[in-house]
Amino acid sequence: MGNFWSRYKRNHAAVFGLFVIVLIIVMAITASLLYPEDPFRLVGKPLSKPLTNGFLLGSDSLGRDVASGIVHGAKTSLLIGFVATLVSVFIGIFFGAFAGYFGGLIDDILMRVTEIFQTIPSFIFAILLVAIMKPSISSIVIAIAVVSWPGVARLVRGEFLAVKNREFVQACHTLGMSDLRIMLWEILPNCLSPIIVVGSLMVATAILIESGLAFLGLGDPNIMSWGFLIGAGRTMLRSAWWVCTFPGVAILITVLAINLIGEGLNDALNPRLKERQ
Amino acid sequence: MKKVLASILMAGSLLLGGAAANADKSGGTLSFLVQPEPPTLASYISTSGPIGLVMPKVYEGLFDYNNDGTMVPILAESYSASADGKTVTFNLRKGVKWHDGKPFTSADVQFTVMDVLKKVHPRGPNSFREVTSIDTPNDHTAIFNLKKPAPYMMRSFAAYESPMVPKHLLEGKDIKSAPLANNPVGTGPFKFVEWKKGQYIRLDKNKDYWQKGLPHLDRIVGRFIPDASTRTAAMENGEVLYAAYNAIPNIDAIRLKERDDIDVTTEGYSMINPMALIEFNTKEGPFVDPAIRRAISVAIDRRFMIDTIFFGYGKPATSALSSNFKATNLHAEMPNYPEKGDKAAANAILDKAGYKRDGDGVRLKAVLDLIPYGEDWRRAGEYLKQALGDIGIQLELRYEDVPTWLKRVYHRYDFQMNVNYFYQLPDPVLGVHRHYGTDQIRKGTHFVNSSRYSNPKLDALLDSGAGEPDAAKRTAAYKEIQQILADDMPVVNLFELEFLVVYNTKLKGAYGSAMGAYGSFREAYLDD
Repeated sequence: MGNFWSRYKRNHAAVFGLFVIVLIIVMAITASLLYPEDPFRLVGKPLSKPLTNGFLLGSDSLGRDVASGIVHGAKTSLLIGFVATLVSVFIGIFFGAFAGYFGGLIDDILMRVTEIFQTIPSFIFAILLVAIMKPSISSIVIAIAVVSWPGVARLVRGEFLAVKNREFVQACHTLGMSDLRIMLWEILPNCLSPIIVVGSLMVATAILIESGLAFLGLGDPNIMSWGFLIGAGRTMLRSAWWVCTFPGVAILITVLAINLIGEGLNDALNPRLKERQ
Repeated sequence: MKKVLASILMAGSLLLGGAAANADKSGGTLSFLVQPEPPTLASYISTSGPIGLVMPKVYEGLFDYNNDGTMVPILAESYSASADGKTVTFNLRKGVKWHDGKPFTSADVQFTVMDVLKKVHPRGPNSFREVTSIDTPNDHTAIFNLKKPAPYMMRSFAAYESPMVPKHLLEGKDIKSAPLANNPVGTGPFKFVEWKKGQYIRLDKNKDYWQKGLPHLDRIVGRFIPDASTRTAAMENGEVLYAAYNAIPNIDAIRLKERDDIDVTTEGYSMINPMALIEFNTKEGPFVDPAIRRAISVAIDRRFMIDTIFFGYGKPATSALSSNFKATNLHAEMPNYPEKGDKAAANAILDKAGYKRDGDGVRLKAVLDLIPYGEDWRRAGEYLKQALGDIGIQLELRYEDVPTWLKRVYHRYDFQMNVNYFYQLPDPVLGVHRHYGTDQIRKGTHFVNSSRYSNPKLDALLDSGAGEPDAAKRTAAYKEIQQILADDMPVVNLFELEFLVVYNTKLKGAYGSAMGAYGSFREAYLDD
């Protein structure tokens, strides 16, 4: 672990990214302390400019506090990002592991299924799924997971293909271990580093997809999120720039930070890069 | 980009062309916004807004109406009613031809009203419900025989409400699927030329129009631009000259108004009378008790909704009827409609009715469906969620696509409360009765009595209000109607919407008709 951290911190940008993300997570956790009121509450004069009428970042068309929306929205955006990523990584590992380990017909079937999902443009597919299921936080998580697992599946399959013929795996076979145990306890741990790297980047993509959906009006109307703020403010961009600019900046910073972390994880976990610096 | 540039250039060259012919008003192309794209062009089957923007230029009605309410003879030159009001004789204009060259006759009027409007039109069965038959003694006379006098019928002859359609192209065919729908042949000042899906509808001048010297314009192009900010940009750079029914969002309209070449008006909607409202399911769910519905009406700050969501364009509702019916003495201000909302009073109503708050201050929970017609209505829902939360009614918002929403509310009645807006039209019989009458509980028909409110006393009053020729008695009947509705509140009216028309000031002559954007534009011209 100490070894991992010393390699990670060599990438200064990644350390900065981690710092930013921790800050955002802290902000999300303390949201109800910072702004105890429901972010949907109409707390003041509509369309107040930033730093007027007691609004740090201004208010939107109904008089809701944009700063409160950003702080509370962080919770939603991060939650959706992480949960959707977990779900899609889980599905991806399941498909990839079986396809890579067993090969043959199982591989063919699973990979053709994966390809079907890969051929549909992911954002449009997500719009379709949310529209069919009616916009709610669970349908958004499902939609994001459904469109983003195929990449993981292909990655895991490749790793499994590479590892499954190594000597230690053959040794496990001769010891009489079950297939499932070999997959879970022997091969999977050896493939984790690329999965972690890809997964960390998927969190950023998931946040972007969620914002995009909310922007198009397909967000959960009962839950504050950054995409919601932007969608609600976009029609008045030219007369009230602050309503969608600040949540946009929040998304930008978060996605950037996550990408930096992903880069750092790649440096720290990828054995082939160890000696590069 | 190239395309945009090309169309700007094209618009520019057309404008120059228009300027050359300026002296006699004639010539030029009017591009205007049609938002959203119409589902069909069959204005005799659907009253959907975008159809109304296009088709009254092609099909005509027997009359049009001026802003002051006077009737303008179009396909009928005059009419006379018998003393008992049960026979109305229309003298039709001579020498009118359909766009395919066939003459327009009284047979067309008879067929349109009896076989088309009374059968397949959403509001026709109501407008012409007293009409039992139409006699056609000659080609230019149509005599309507009525069961009872129907004064309101005379308000429903505009092209948008009751378009006259050619008998020879519909007779013997299934009217709902006849090819006339998207190849319209009318008598109007403009002929249908083409409909390029996703882009535009083009109408060209009818050179054989019955009124010599009209129309002035050579061409009308209805453009479909799905994105609101692109629509605003098109208005700003003069690519389109006219935008009605809030195709340009209010917030942009207010900004554009400051320009010299663009102006904004709320005229042209007085025959439409749109009213924003909440429909309740009065048969099942949390809103069966009228006390709760009353409390909701009392709690809502209508002024806030108008000022923040619609930028000041609108009037707080004060009764089940729009204040525009003051002109005909039918509107009466009612209790339970405080302009700025009175949450203390609303809480008192709920306390008295025995709805206790739980630990979180919640008395009851409900789902609020929102009309899926854009951002404004989402904001309205978000406001209502907050306002009603304060009186202990916890709402969850539901925003679905149009077909799902229509099915939920009007086919399955699977809703609790629903934000919507209705056109009250020029007479309550045409636009208001359909909310409340027992006979208007029509499963599967859109924009009727989805509350399933049924009150025999009210039904009787509605009937007498419809057929009453005596103005004072009619006023009294509607006053009682409004009292019952202010008590029972099957529908809570929110505010009278004031739609905007945003227009380029070089477009003139398009604003005289009370039908506004649903008018024919026959007198519109470009003045550079």
